[in-house]
Amino acid sequence: MPAEPILAVDSLARGFGDGEARLELFSGLSLSIGAGEAVAIVGPSGCGKSTLLHLLAGLDRPDAGRVLVGGRDWETLAPEPKAKWRGESVGFVFQLHHLLPELTAEENVALPLLLAGEPDARARATARELLARVGLVRQAGALPRILSGGERQRVAIARAVVRRPRLLLCDEPTGSLDAAHAAEVLDLLLGAARERAGALLLVTHDPSVAARCGTVLTLTPRGLLTS
Amino acid sequence: MGVVAAAAFVGLVLGVAALVLSLSLLSGFQNHVLARLAEEAPHVLVAPAGRPDFGAAEGAAARLGALPGVLSVTPVVRGRGWITARGQAVPAVLAGREGADGITLDPAQARQLTVLPGEEVTVVSSRTRLSPLGPVPVTASLTVTEVASASTGRKQPEAILPADAARRLFGIPEGGATGFELRLADPGNAPVAAASAREALGGSSTSTTTWQEANRPLLLALRLERVVLFATVFLVVVVAGLNLAATSAVLAATRRGDAAVLTVLGAAPGVLARIFLLAGLILGAAGTLTGLAVGTVVAVALDVTHAIPLPAQLFSLAHVPFKPGVRDLLAVGAFSLLWSFLSSIVPARMASRVDVTEALRAG
Ligand SMILES: Nc1ncnc2c1ncn2[C@@H]1O[C@H](COP(=O)(O)OP(=O)(O)OP(=O)(O)O)[C@@H](O)[C@H]1O
Ligand SMILES: [Mg+2]
Repeated sequence: MPAEPILAVDSLARGFGDGEARLELFSGLSLSIGAGEAVAIVGPSGCGKSTLLHLLAGLDRPDAGRVLVGGRDWETLAPEPKAKWRGESVGFVFQLHHLLPELTAEENVALPLLLAGEPDARARATARELLARVGLVRQAGALPRILSGGERQRVAIARAVVRRPRLLLCDEPTGSLDAAHAAEVLDLLLGAARERAGALLLVTHDPSVAARCGTVLTLTPRGLLTS
Repeated sequence: MGVVAAAAFVGLVLGVAALVLSLSLLSGFQNHVLARLAEEAPHVLVAPAGRPDFGAAEGAAARLGALPGVLSVTPVVRGRGWITARGQAVPAVLAGREGADGITLDPAQARQLTVLPGEEVTVVSSRTRLSPLGPVPVTASLTVTEVASASTGRKQPEAILPADAARRLFGIPEGGATGFELRLADPGNAPVAAASAREALGGSSTSTTTWQEANRPLLLALRLERVVLFATVFLVVVVAGLNLAATSAVLAATRRGDAAVLTVLGAAPGVLARIFLLAGLILGAAGTLTGLAVGTVVAVALDVTHAIPLPAQLFSLAHVPFKPGVRDLLAVGAFSLLWSFLSSIVPARMASRVDVTEALRAG
């Protein structure tokens, strides 16, 4: 019996608006990602890549189809268990870091653990450990606004993986970085996914970033096509 | 955001401080009224029940004076009669007291009789004595020594005259009294003292009235005054609380992005609501505590520095008194906190229902 995929998507469809103004982004989209896989999704701006990632994380609801993470269908979960399952199984990295401005780097990284009810001291210790791994020991007490773009993105990655999620979703994680920093951040993401036997799905415009993932898929209105 | 929160904070501080100040002001005046009442009115009035007077008054007075907490026992000889002068007659309650000299009239009585201090009036009792001409009323001629308002809280004006004259008018034997006025070390203890006075003078044949009982309408009015003032000034706090709700709503709206990020990190709607509720509550608590402190400090300062003078001719007080009370502070604090909490609920629920994808798109 084959191992259950970490992410399973079946005949997904999503569009916006009604009647004349209806915009159908994609339909019949299916996808399956197993442990240790890294998948890049590319496509022109506005084709629905971010929308797809939101659907995969259970943040948005599809018009049709199903998304299963670790075998659980987002649609069948009530709000509380849904939030719990999301915190446990999905890590999310945005193009812009989306760190909370009043919290230090360490507190930002510790936040998912605190939300999960872990004691403060332990959460902070884990956060410091992870910041050390992304080379930001010195910046642990710094507020996001004094960090550089690359540093912020590394903090955001540390925050995304702090609960050891099995699925790491990244929306243009290197979009705001120069080539050197982009390579660094990508190394971290691939390393984190590999190390935890998880799955990595990233959306990117950058062919060189896409090339480093095992699979590259193009998002089209009819679903994902292998390039 | 900072400015909005600061405005809400200041609003709440001012509202709470205004409430504390108003209640302190009211307490100041009410305490003064109560103190004067306790100072002037007898603390316990002991009267005979089912008999006209205390026969052996000396013994009764001695027994009352021996009770714990009783400072003094004053016999009174009270009865009804008419005061006449220049062909005018007014009915009056007449109180005979030891040491009184002439008759002291109430201003209302003096006005009706058109008499001035130094003039003579005739006091007529309802009692008659037999004379060769038949029964004639017992009378006494007295000089008006003073025209003065009776002390606070008396239901009817009384004219005060010497005890001997009163005994003669009402046919009470030498040394007898129709009642005793007790003054106590602790006026608050009047009900207990009244009970022991009844016991000392033989239970059912004695009745007592404490100063609280005698002034019940006044005390009720004072309490009502507090309630009405509290309700009125509390509106300021209510408005400040609504302002706080508006601030929380602004907070929820400006922090949609953060709420969305927290959702992505696994925060359930309930957790989000609690976070925003806490933010509102912290602001509410800070405003309330600061307001209580500001109100108390200002009240105490105004009181001890005698900052607001009063015209001495109109008031028995030289300055406006402020007396912040612990119970008032607790009540104001509790109401303000509760209201802050209540007014944060709706914005917090708003924040917890954030549309994550839209908020993330907005950045
Ligand atoms: N809530 C919405 N209501 C209406 N239209 C929407 C909504 N969300 C997204 N869209 C539209 O859907 C399309 C896809 O948006 P999406 O952000 O997924 O694109 P994208 O592929 O991530 O683009 P980019 O590469 O520029 O980030 C856009 O045209 C956008 O305007
Ligand atoms: Mg996008």
